[in-house]
Amino acid sequence: MISCTDLDLNPLSEGSSENWYSNETEISMAVNDLYRPVFWPLEDGEWTDDYTRRQALTPITSATINGEWETLQNLWLNSYKTIARANTILLNLDKVSEILPPATIDKFAGNAHFVRAAQYAKLIFYYGDVVFYTNIIDIDEAFTLSRTSKAEVLAAIYADYDAAASKLPIAYGNAENKLATKGAALAMKARIALAMGDWAIARDAAKACMDLGIYELYPDYGELFLAKTKNPKELVFGLPRSKEFGVLWEMVNYYLPRNVGGFGGSIAPSWDLFHSFLCTDGLPIDKSPLYNPQKPFKNRDPRCTATIVEFGTPWLGFIYEPHPDSLKVLNVNTGQRVKNNDTRGNQQYASFNGLVWKKFADESWLPDFKAENDKMFMRYADVLLMYAEAKIELNEIDQSVLDAINKVRARAYKVSYTATSSYPAVGTGSQSQLRTTVRVERRMEFAHEGLRYQDIIRWKIAEKVLNQDIYGMLDVAALRTKIVKPGLWFFPMTPAIDENGSPNLLPMYEAGLIKLLADRQFDASKQYLWPIPTKEILINKNLIQNPGY
Amino acid sequence: MPFYDQILKKMKLTLLLLLLTVLSGIAADTYSQSTKLTLKLENVRIEDLLSQIEDKSEFRFFYNEEIDLDKKVSVNSSDETLVNILDKILNNTGIRYEVIGRQVILTNSSGIASVSQQSKTVTGKVTDSSGEPLPGVTVVVKGTTNGTITGADGNYSLGNITADATLLFSFVGMKSQEIPVAGKTGINVTMVEETIGLEEVVAIGYGTAKKSDITGAVATLQGDAVAERRTTQVSQALQGAISGVMVTRDNNTPGSSATINIRGITTIGDSSPLIIMDGVPINNINDINPNDIQDISVLKDAASASIYGSRAAAGVILVTTKRAKAGELNLSYNAEYGVETPTQLPVYVDVIRYMQIANELRWNDNGNTSDEYPLYAKDIVDNYMSLNAENPDLYPNTDWVGLILEKYAPKQSHTLSISAGTKAIRSKLTLAYDKTDALYMNHTYERITSRFNNDITINKFLSATLDMYFKRSIREQPSLDPMYNMLIAAPVYAAEWSDGRVAEGKTGNNIYGQIKYGGFRNNWYNQVGGKLSLDFTPFDGFKLSAILSPNLGFDKAKNFQKKVSYTDWEDPTSILGTLEWAKTTNLYESRNDNYQVTTQFLANYTKTIKEHNLNILAGYENYYSYYENLSASREQYDLEAFPYLDLGPLTYRGNSGNAYENAYRSWLGRVMYNYQSKYFIQGNIRFDASSRFHTDYRWGSFPSLSAGWVISEESFMKDISWLSFLKLRGSWGTLGNERIGNYPYQATIAFSDAIFHQGSTVVASQTAAQWQYAIRDISWEKTESFDVGFDAGLFDNKLRLTGDYYRKTTKDMLLALEIPDYMGFSNPDQNTGKMETKGWEFEANYNNRIGQVNYSVGFNISDFKSTMGDLGGTEFLGDQIKIKGSEFNEWYGYISDGLFQTEEEVTTSPKTSESVRPGDVKYKDISGPDGVPDGSITPEYDRVLLGGSLPRYMYGANIRLEYKGFDFSMVIQGVGKQNVRLEGLMVQPLMENWGHVPKILDGNFWSMYNTQEENLMVKYPRISQTSRGNNFAMSDYWLINGAYLRLKNISLGYTLPKSIVQSIKMNNVRFYATISDLYTFDNFPKGWDPEVSSSGYPITSSFIFGVAVKF
Repeated sequence: MISCTDLDLNPLSEGSSENWYSNETEISMAVNDLYRPVFWPLEDGEWTDDYTRRQALTPITSATINGEWETLQNLWLNSYKTIARANTILLNLDKVSEILPPATIDKFAGNAHFVRAAQYAKLIFYYGDVVFYTNIIDIDEAFTLSRTSKAEVLAAIYADYDAAASKLPIAYGNAENKLATKGAALAMKARIALAMGDWAIARDAAKACMDLGIYELYPDYGELFLAKTKNPKELVFGLPRSKEFGVLWEMVNYYLPRNVGGFGGSIAPSWDLFHSFLCTDGLPIDKSPLYNPQKPFKNRDPRCTATIVEFGTPWLGFIYEPHPDSLKVLNVNTGQRVKNNDTRGNQQYASFNGLVWKKFADESWLPDFKAENDKMFMRYADVLLMYAEAKIELNEIDQSVLDAINKVRARAYKVSYTATSSYPAVGTGSQSQLRTTVRVERRMEFAHEGLRYQDIIRWKIAEKVLNQDIYGMLDVAALRTKIVKPGLWFFPMTPAIDENGSPNLLPMYEAGLIKLLADRQFDASKQYLWPIPTKEILINKNLIQNPGY
Repeated sequence: MPFYDQILKKMKLTLLLLLLTVLSGIAADTYSQSTKLTLKLENVRIEDLLSQIEDKSEFRFFYNEEIDLDKKVSVNSSDETLVNILDKILNNTGIRYEVIGRQVILTNSSGIASVSQQSKTVTGKVTDSSGEPLPGVTVVVKGTTNGTITGADGNYSLGNITADATLLFSFVGMKSQEIPVAGKTGINVTMVEETIGLEEVVAIGYGTAKKSDITGAVATLQGDAVAERRTTQVSQALQGAISGVMVTRDNNTPGSSATINIRGITTIGDSSPLIIMDGVPINNINDINPNDIQDISVLKDAASASIYGSRAAAGVILVTTKRAKAGELNLSYNAEYGVETPTQLPVYVDVIRYMQIANELRWNDNGNTSDEYPLYAKDIVDNYMSLNAENPDLYPNTDWVGLILEKYAPKQSHTLSISAGTKAIRSKLTLAYDKTDALYMNHTYERITSRFNNDITINKFLSATLDMYFKRSIREQPSLDPMYNMLIAAPVYAAEWSDGRVAEGKTGNNIYGQIKYGGFRNNWYNQVGGKLSLDFTPFDGFKLSAILSPNLGFDKAKNFQKKVSYTDWEDPTSILGTLEWAKTTNLYESRNDNYQVTTQFLANYTKTIKEHNLNILAGYENYYSYYENLSASREQYDLEAFPYLDLGPLTYRGNSGNAYENAYRSWLGRVMYNYQSKYFIQGNIRFDASSRFHTDYRWGSFPSLSAGWVISEESFMKDISWLSFLKLRGSWGTLGNERIGNYPYQATIAFSDAIFHQGSTVVASQTAAQWQYAIRDISWEKTESFDVGFDAGLFDNKLRLTGDYYRKTTKDMLLALEIPDYMGFSNPDQNTGKMETKGWEFEANYNNRIGQVNYSVGFNISDFKSTMGDLGGTEFLGDQIKIKGSEFNEWYGYISDGLFQTEEEVTTSPKTSESVRPGDVKYKDISGPDGVPDGSITPEYDRVLLGGSLPRYMYGANIRLEYKGFDFSMVIQGVGKQNVRLEGLMVQPLMENWGHVPKILDGNFWSMYNTQEENLMVKYPRISQTSRGNNFAMSDYWLINGAYLRLKNISLGYTLPKSIVQSIKMNNVRFYATISDLYTFDNFPKGWDPEVSSSGYPITSSFIFGVAVKF
């Protein structure tokens, strides 16, 4: 040891790849790796018109995106890491085909197919044509690769999802890790098909998922999203978070009011989103007689107050009230009236537009602002609405379309979808009317869930909604004189709502009644696709950048 | 005397000499002592006198014709011995005599030395230039092993010395002196301190050599020059001291170190030099206390470094520590106190301007609409100072920098040293303590170092050294480094409410509250090591050594992050939130346990045959190192006073651990030969095997050759009186590097965790995957190096010059090959890529004396440029780039074209995005996907190389003066040229959209409020958050020449006169004062030191006063 050390030293705290994938435990660990949290990010809502972050913008919403944006580089890198690992598993399964039962092999293979399909789907959605391979590539081969057409990759994605659907179990036992299921493969296939405009494939996949008959909508819309609701039957594909295991939703204090120690809606629901919730008569606010801009939370779809904290209601122990003259507010727990830091009358950094998020949040987020709500990538409501959307686009408007939408809407009202008098049930209409209906429904249903960006890109409305500016309340002095004094609090006017459910706030701004927070921009000539990471273009001459970047 | 007699005598003389050589020691001298002579002669030739003696006695004189016996002498003696008579008459004649029986031999004092003569005892006293006795000086009879050392009083006594002998006085750090005895029995010597002379012995790999004998590029630095800088860390003291040694730093945190690079950059990986302390590799030069250093040798070229083959590609620094000398017995104590103060601090606009500029930013980003007060209302901006006076809590005006940074931070250091040496055992023990406080609260650096060096001479054949050292350093810091947050914090946010409670800051970003109450981050580093070496010398010139050197490290870190709640300014009971860095109180601890063991077996043979000098070295070395890490944490503590793991809740606990090891085995050999100390040649070879490579690719061989020619020794150069010494040197060699992970050839499976639902519960499961692509045949990176140089001494070696030119080519560079991200692996380590570094160095030193003033002046300058060759398809992209043809870390970005001035110009020009507006930086459209400008500015197609980022023409200079008890020295240091980027806090307004605004921008940025003419004159772009990406992207717009000249160090010392010191029973007392980093000449924006990083701890000037006493 002292004078002659053995030089054949092997890693002390790592394994060797030489003979890995040789038994069930090893392959099982490799399959688990495909579901590490880093490979399954949720989309950032700030890229959309549903959010406002005071006066700040993202590279997407300021149209300054380029191939050096870190988020875009990480998404690319992590997707391919997962793909390479899935390929490795698929190509190593024959090593154990003799010693493991076929069902086990199917489970491993099914998950690898599912993950590979999901990652390629993400890639073609964001980047268009991408580098595609299903083998284990070496360096020399890597530099010969170029971009494969989106259509070709898409065909492979469908094939992978089909393989996954045929191999994966319908469900897992309660003592078994819940990995991907048959239903997940079908639903995720529907999502990419819809994004790519393959309506029929989307319809069939969604239908097949519905026909499994094992998913149901969670009865309470608000409760569905709370940390305590783990793995509900509505969850088709999701992964947990856990404080115990350190997998967290961090920095949720950005969403919370200042009275509970949050950042006062530093990241807040936008006024665009708020205005898009229908009234309880099923009409948009500009059409509904039930809407009163001075009482904007009244007579709205229940999902409105489940998503955005209604003024004057208790929220996490305090009455939430951004009114500039509400300088004191009730602490519900102590019964004391305390200083209200959620009004800009007291606090400059209270919510700039008066709104704070409610969806997902509850007392479990306090006091450390670490949240362990499930990460929901696909829930049954999405399957239903995808089915409806595909059928509408195919112009196959039938009762199944209306039922699908109505099931989702009725759940929000906590009634059966057949009780059409108890909620504003959707009746039949033209393709374009129903298109609007399903788009508005999605916006109400999925707010704050990381789905809006995909929707506005798929619907090609990003150039419209992301070229509208972000507005908030006037500064306190002006707010008092121009809004509060004339009795115009909270909204001074009712904006017009367009076919996408988006309000036109410009007249209010031009009347000097609201404040411009940020000048949102979207460059339609290029931004429907992201650029390939700059580094990839520069080191491999076979790759050509997306147009405009 | 008849003629034939003379012939006979001359013949006899030759015969007799032979005979006497054999018989010496046998012959008795009773006759000469018993025979008494009486002579009375006036003014006779010596030869005649000798004849008379021959006539009167049986004495016979022998001499040859070179002896001048014509001198006339007088003698008047009665009954005196021959010896007494000869002593008198031959005094001052230059003639020596030796009485052997009845024969008397006469020689010239410069004549034949091989004749054994009567031996005497010589005594004397050795002192230093100040007259102080010098103990431990070695006194030997030249060419013999007969020697002694001076005692504590500087006295020596050496017996058995012949009259023609020459005594050699030597002492480390002093010029050796040769003094002929010439019959004298008392010789007092004053030793003169050696600066850097050609006779100096310097450390080379696995041994030492005379500087004049060295054929490679080796630079040396005396330990005093290191200690004199008064820095805590050795690395900092090397700045500007040695040519070709680049020392860079970007902050001056207490206890901070600096980065050392020798002769530039040789590899993309780790370019830090190998550090050898007393012959054994160590991890960090900063583990050594500067006061313990005897000297430092820097092996710069392949020829001198390749004996360390494997890990020497980036150069080698040899540190020799101080040892005790025989005859030494003293205790010395050194205390110093001082303060540090920032050289510069950035200045920001006042609160009113801050609000105006913050408003302007929003106004610009919202399209310059009618509302020009989008953030701070007009009445607030206009009346802020009076509002602030009324209610400073609601309208704060916080001077964050003034609140957090003290003007001065104290520092102190104490060193106690005891040396005791006998002929058999020589021991030196030092104990040192350093403490430096930071400019902000709750931050200190403390260090205790101890070293115990022992030399034991067991017998003529066997000797041993036993060294031990211990280091403990403790860094205590607040839970967060405040610099960045302090600098961006704007004055409109409160740090403390007027009654002293923690204020909100910018919505919880209150760095003052955080460092004051937010817990701590403490690190403890302990190191224990030693070296045991046995030297066996079976016969003269041949030495066998066995060395065992273990080094053990134990590090501990503790990070206790406390939740700091802030309350409402008017309601102390209303908790508004917690400061943003810790929502709960958490404890994180980690431990590292490591050790390294070096074993060496060396054989060294030195032989001189006539004018041939040969030195052969062969050796074997083994090295093993092991590291193990452990960390544990708990979160959400309820109790905030107990930073221990047990007191946290069980639910939120975490832990982790890992370990790694690596090993080397090496064979090495060296042959050094010179003829007449005029022609030198040296060859080295080293074979290394590393555990980092697969067994088939494990061994690397690293040969080198060098040669030197001392031209000044040639006869045709002898006549040039002003040239004392000139040597030409040339060397070639290869060096290796393998510092790239510990298992690079193995495709390892990395483990992690994922969590899953099991029904409605959540479980964690282990995961496994290959993360890195592995290349199995990865092997040594090789650097081939070529060097030519000269050493010259002019005017009696008063002026010494050294110059070198070198070229280093690195092949098979080990680097993480940049593979496409779509491969899905982390970049693999691979042998690919080439780079080349060319450079030169020049050093000049002059010392002399004017009257009683000793002075020396030194200057050094060096330059290098590293160019990347083919990197095997690899490119390292970013703001600093490495691609084929670029310099190492060359700036890479857009070419700017001023600022956009008009809407029309924006519309018609290529730009980075649609968000660009007038006032933003304009760039040139270089290319596009089709190879031609495409009308838009993109990172893929429009960035170009903008020039190197590394410093060029690094120089240093020093002046030293000594006058009586006073000594003075001054060091300057600088960089001749460097492309420096202004970035971040230096030039960006409202960082993070709410931060402060640097004062240098005010009145100098593009603004809608300016006239067109004013906008043409401004230096900085418009204030915008949206355009931040455009405006502050890497481009030549932000590059400035970062050249600087720094007044690095000024020291003044006074040594009390001997008479006073001795009257208070001391040996030596010296007072000194040192100022470091006092002033800089540079081009940087006001408030920024040329070396500091934009959010780093300031570079500080230090003012130190110290006293050193010696008993």
